[in-house]
Amino acid sequence: MTTGSAHAPVNTRTTAEPGTRPAGNRRTGGQPKRKGGKDNLAGYLFLTPWLIGLFALTLGPMLFSLYLAFTDYNLFTAPKWTGLGNFERMAGDTVFWGSVQITLIYVLVGTPIKLAAALGVAMLLNFKSKGTGFFRSAFYAPSLIGASVSIAIVWRAMFSTNGPIDNGLNLFGINLGGWVGVPALVMPMMILLAVWQFGAPMVIFLAGLKQIPGELYEAASVDGAKAWRKFLSVTLPMLSPVIFFNLLLEMINAFQIFASAYIIGSGSGGPAGATNFYTVYLYTRAFTNNQMGYAAAMAWVLLIAVGILAFILFRTSKSWVHYGGDTK
Amino acid sequence: MFNKFSRRAGSGVAVTVAAALMLTACGGNGGGEAGGTPDPNEEVTLNFTWWGNEDRAERYNEAIALFEEENPNIDVNGTFMDFPAYWEKRQTEAAGGGLPDVMQFDYSYLRQYGQNGLLLDLNDYVGNGLTTDTIDDTLLATGKLEDQTLGVPTGYNAWSLFENPALIEQAGVEGYEGGTSWEEYEEYMASVSDASDEVFGGTDYTGRIQNFELQLRQEGRELFTEDGQLNFTQEELAEFWSSTADLRENETVIPARTLEELLPKSGFGSNLTASEMTWSNFMGGYLGDTGAEDLNIVAPPTNDPSVKDLYQKPSMLHAVSAGTEHPEAAVAFVEFLINSPEVGKIFGASLGVPASETALEGAALEGPELEVKEYLDSVADRIGEPPAAPVVGYGALENTFLTLGTSIGLGSISPEDAAQQFFDEAAVTLAG
Amino acid sequence: MTTANIESATNSVGSPVRPVRKRPQTPRKTAATVAWIVGIVLLTAVVLYPLLWMISASFKPNAEFGSNQSLLPENPTFDNFVKVMEGVAGIPTWKFFWNSTILGIGAVIGTVISSSMAAYAFARLDFKGRPLFFAMMIGTLLLPFHVLIIPQYMIFRNLGMVDTFFPLLVGKFLATEAFFVFLMVQFIRNLPKELDEAARIDGCGHWRIFWSITLPLIKPALITSSIFAFIWSWNDFLGPLLYLNSPENYPLPLALRVFNDQSSASDYGATVAISVLALLPVMLFFVIFQRFLVDGVATQGLKG
Repeated sequence: MTTGSAHAPVNTRTTAEPGTRPAGNRRTGGQPKRKGGKDNLAGYLFLTPWLIGLFALTLGPMLFSLYLAFTDYNLFTAPKWTGLGNFERMAGDTVFWGSVQITLIYVLVGTPIKLAAALGVAMLLNFKSKGTGFFRSAFYAPSLIGASVSIAIVWRAMFSTNGPIDNGLNLFGINLGGWVGVPALVMPMMILLAVWQFGAPMVIFLAGLKQIPGELYEAASVDGAKAWRKFLSVTLPMLSPVIFFNLLLEMINAFQIFASAYIIGSGSGGPAGATNFYTVYLYTRAFTNNQMGYAAAMAWVLLIAVGILAFILFRTSKSWVHYGGDTK
Repeated sequence: MFNKFSRRAGSGVAVTVAAALMLTACGGNGGGEAGGTPDPNEEVTLNFTWWGNEDRAERYNEAIALFEEENPNIDVNGTFMDFPAYWEKRQTEAAGGGLPDVMQFDYSYLRQYGQNGLLLDLNDYVGNGLTTDTIDDTLLATGKLEDQTLGVPTGYNAWSLFENPALIEQAGVEGYEGGTSWEEYEEYMASVSDASDEVFGGTDYTGRIQNFELQLRQEGRELFTEDGQLNFTQEELAEFWSSTADLRENETVIPARTLEELLPKSGFGSNLTASEMTWSNFMGGYLGDTGAEDLNIVAPPTNDPSVKDLYQKPSMLHAVSAGTEHPEAAVAFVEFLINSPEVGKIFGASLGVPASETALEGAALEGPELEVKEYLDSVADRIGEPPAAPVVGYGALENTFLTLGTSIGLGSISPEDAAQQFFDEAAVTLAG
Repeated sequence: MTTANIESATNSVGSPVRPVRKRPQTPRKTAATVAWIVGIVLLTAVVLYPLLWMISASFKPNAEFGSNQSLLPENPTFDNFVKVMEGVAGIPTWKFFWNSTILGIGAVIGTVISSSMAAYAFARLDFKGRPLFFAMMIGTLLLPFHVLIIPQYMIFRNLGMVDTFFPLLVGKFLATEAFFVFLMVQFIRNLPKELDEAARIDGCGHWRIFWSITLPLIKPALITSSIFAFIWSWNDFLGPLLYLNSPENYPLPLALRVFNDQSSASDYGATVAISVLALLPVMLFFVIFQRFLVDGVATQGLKG
């Protein structure tokens, strides 16, 4: 490819040297506005590591799991083709539907609460600069703990009979006792665990807030906008790409909740199936019952379901997500 | 032989070492055919893996060091993990290739791995590198599957009933003497629970499949038929789960809700129940959990003490991977772990009461471990033939049983519905 | 590219540089500050209580777990820490910290380089197949990783890479964690395109634009990614479980499981103690790196 060709202005490193400016031919050269392909070479160069990763490490295993979804595979002998057998079995599997139900509740209730908490605290932390370093670290600290037995011990203690939550509620005359052994109360307990570990979306919100130019707020102040008004007219739109990111990712994460449920439920989905979330059940099928084919089928059902949701989110995002790079 | 020499020499081993090897090589040690002792000329690295805590790791390291001292040409790479992670890793390796040479093995996985040809048949080595006449025949048979010897038991345990004397004293009641009727055991539990505000007499024993198995064996039956199907009816299971409904209602047994709050500890380990039935090798763990100085171990209840309802379960086995490149060295290592009196001394009864006479002698058990051994001796009359090696998926069924038992305790499912679910699950598990 | 070029470019589109403000405090502002402090301190207390409980629990003897659920130990002891510091099976505890550190730093370097490059391509470059590749990237986020374990293990086993750090790090250098790529895409798309265009007019190639304009401007996202990459690597259990065999290579999450084997005996005191110790380095990492988040766009280097 030469500098003079029609879709020339691909700027590779060689053309970037000072003194070898492409002599303005891009502005004047009447380059055809083709959709896709004006930065082909640079695009693939920048994407090289990702492409290698995709083809070498991700795509193969994904396709293999897609194949497994149509087989019986016990990990020990070769997979046996069963067509739609796994999917038919899934349709009649009451434990499967139970796991779908609690996972949906977890996603639909937990994600908004977690994001609201993360955004609220991020804004609190963005408010001042003195001492925020400490608070930022404090709020992030719970998210630093890995999913180990320790967290199960701690969380159980918080919600056991005469634990801090129980005692706190007793002050308001609410006597629930311990939550841990009551299947119906395990869901709120799991949601609160997720909310407690809100550090990741909080930090992302914070990074997004830092990216908002200060003069936008000043301009709003000059126009006499109050705090709430500023939030609606400056913060939310400017933050929308990050909100979109957090919403999508937290939703995906919530659908895939595994580690915390696995350790709190001691790996068995207990008590009484209350922590038998989708991926916990999938894991049990794969590694406890050695039904990798069924597990792969479950994985692809989840992928398609979440994929559809993600697609809808992307579609709606066009109307509410504003990219600085597009609008200015 | 000579090829090995040139390779070794080429890899820059000192001449003196080569000369020493030459001498031993001339001794005519046949390493080619199956069986026999390892070729002392060959530098071998064995991968060995086990599950367990850091205490067990230290003991194994000690044993490995000793083995390497005796066999300077064999290098043992020990790796360890906790139980669930251990099996997840093994399953990935089984599917992806590359199981370690020697593995600490669990009884409930033996059939699955053995049936699929992943374990080396040790028959060829018995009497030829591997000594098994130190081990009781019925116990040794637990490592066999259709005449193949796939694993050698390290030690054994049996179902038992633990009691916490401190809690019994605190409640001011008589302890349970063991081996009497189920009614008497239940009365004992009630006496503790009635006498104390905090402490309960025991745990609802219907949560564990081993207690169901115990009651079936007391009727002369097994959990599974010979062709690996359930050997009881859905109604019988529902009835078993219903049989302790009164105990749950009266809080004679510790409420399931409390147990959930204590996890990962058990009620017994948390000093909240005065008795619990489990495998006899839990002694060490329970002493650590309770912090008690002394725990009693007695026979589980039975309505007919003449029935041979108990059996010796291998606490764990050692198995060799079928894909090992060094079967002789691997077998030599297994032989060392099973029979060496020094290894017996290092481990005591922490891998179960040693299966091998020689290891048992070396172990010179004392304290709580001796108590466990004495318990096992005391129930010798009740010990019968062990059931056939657990069906594939037994571990999963055991878990399902436990989970359903807990759900019944929490009142979120009826015993009848739970039995239905168990049978549904078993149909899928046992079919594949 | 010269500094002057960039500065003129910046000024021409309206600088995102926030002027440093100094204003006298009004009474209303003071009241708000007090409310802010009270609110945030209360919230911090609630959030930190479980952590405090955990730290306190690391001083409880093993037997108190289960029976004493209150904050304070009845018989406080240092034994748990003594036991943990003795190491596991002859391997000193610092070795596990060291392994975790190596893996964490490798993950940060790999993730930041590879993900930012991929993100730049997705956000700014117009190449054939971009929508398809972008969809595939999002797609890789959606599949539960459990079903990928075995095929991936087969790949690395065939490469002879089991029991090395390679399988744990190579994916980071190949941007396989779509989370980071997508995060950076979102940040880059939010940058004013005029900066790129001005630089392009000045004759900058994509590499220069990426290096001198994009990367400095998405510093908050880079810091955020570094923090996550480090913490997630620090806490990753499954990857090390599958790919590492030798205990000398174990990172902390594997080492800490060894104190807690349900089939033999569990030492909950030691488990919690090592969890607390494992928390300190990541905490330190966070405390150090979060400071860069404060600066944000305000002070960062548009000046060349």
